[in-house]
Amino acid sequence: MKKDSIFYTVVFSFIIAFIFVFLLSLAYGATKEKVAENARITEARAYLSAAGIEVADPGEIEAAFNSAFPSFDEKAPFNETTVNGKKIVVSPFSGNGLWGTISGVMAVTADLKRMVGLAIISHNETPGLGGRIEEKWFLDQFRGESLSGKIEVIRGSGSGDNDPDNGKVDGITGASRTSSSIEVIVNNKINELKEMIGGIN
Amino acid sequence: MADSPSKILKENIWYSNPVFIQILGICSTLAVTNNLINTVIMTVGLMFVTGFTNVTVSLLKNLIPRKVRMIVQTLIIAFYVIIVDILLRAYLPDVSKALGPYVGLIITNCIIMGRAEAFAQSNGPLLSFWDGITSGLGYMWVLMIIAFVRELLGFGTLFGMSVLPEGFTHWTIMVMAPSAFFLLGTFIWISKTIMLKNEGGRK
Repeated sequence: MKKDSIFYTVVFSFIIAFIFVFLLSLAYGATKEKVAENARITEARAYLSAAGIEVADPGEIEAAFNSAFPSFDEKAPFNETTVNGKKIVVSPFSGNGLWGTISGVMAVTADLKRMVGLAIISHNETPGLGGRIEEKWFLDQFRGESLSGKIEVIRGSGSGDNDPDNGKVDGITGASRTSSSIEVIVNNKINELKEMIGGIN
Repeated sequence: MADSPSKILKENIWYSNPVFIQILGICSTLAVTNNLINTVIMTVGLMFVTGFTNVTVSLLKNLIPRKVRMIVQTLIIAFYVIIVDILLRAYLPDVSKALGPYVGLIITNCIIMGRAEAFAQSNGPLLSFWDGITSGLGYMWVLMIIAFVRELLGFGTLFGMSVLPEGFTHWTIMVMAPSAFFLLGTFIWISKTIMLKNEGGRK
């Protein structure tokens, strides 16, 4: 058969694409469970961290998650639980960042007076700039923050705003757009929770 | 065309280095070099992909019809890149998260296509593998130096560990892509100067 004939080209392209895609789907199938487990752990870690529970050993995350959220329903818009004697509500959020979707978990007290914590599950922000939203110093600013008004992400002194009563957190230098995206996402989620839970209580 | 392995090594590391002589793979040079850990993983990934793509192209070179040569090479490259991506996601989830879309972008790195087209198409599989690995090394050492400077001045850290004193003012420009342009430019200037000096000395 001539190597440059159309027939050979088509058959060759078909076979080679088939072989490579077949191998890829094998590799994908073989690692599927492992990947799903990693995703579950990442999510569980975000819920725990939002609720203010630190677990150092990755092997213990699932156990800690099950004990902290005994009746967790992943399809529900929010879940209630009791941590350290306080009733809290945890709820996943997502919204538009600068480059892509930012998703995470927010925990608030059941009376909606204070934020318990915030954790990021995934984002596509610029590494080293907007990507710093997942760093502890940034997220810790939200801990215990008063929810009486709107939360503002401001241009502060650069050392973070750790006053929980003023409703303000320090944004990230060089990532103004990501900082203001976070402001919008967080406030939308707070309003959503106020509407949903305010109706029940 | 039968170059000796040591000549290939010298060519790829220095005399026709993919980054500062051939100016290939600049996209990733700008993107990942603000952090040493990401740079190491990215360049190791590239080394792996270039090496194995070269072997595969070299083995299949007599079967591939000329008309679809490029697209088949791209298919092979994409195959190995997705393998790297799958492995990272399964076994190094934190790294995979940190690199995000950059792993997928290895596909568009011109070094791989360049080596497949320029070397593997006309050489045996073993030599092609060596050429791919050394091209990856040539890419790696340049990126490591740029990442070293950028992480040190941009974050005050090396491999994530603090090395500069607390009061050090971070250079935000070093974190952003444009600084890699300045550093790469300086790098080309220095390496070219050394190269020309050596050539002058030989005459």
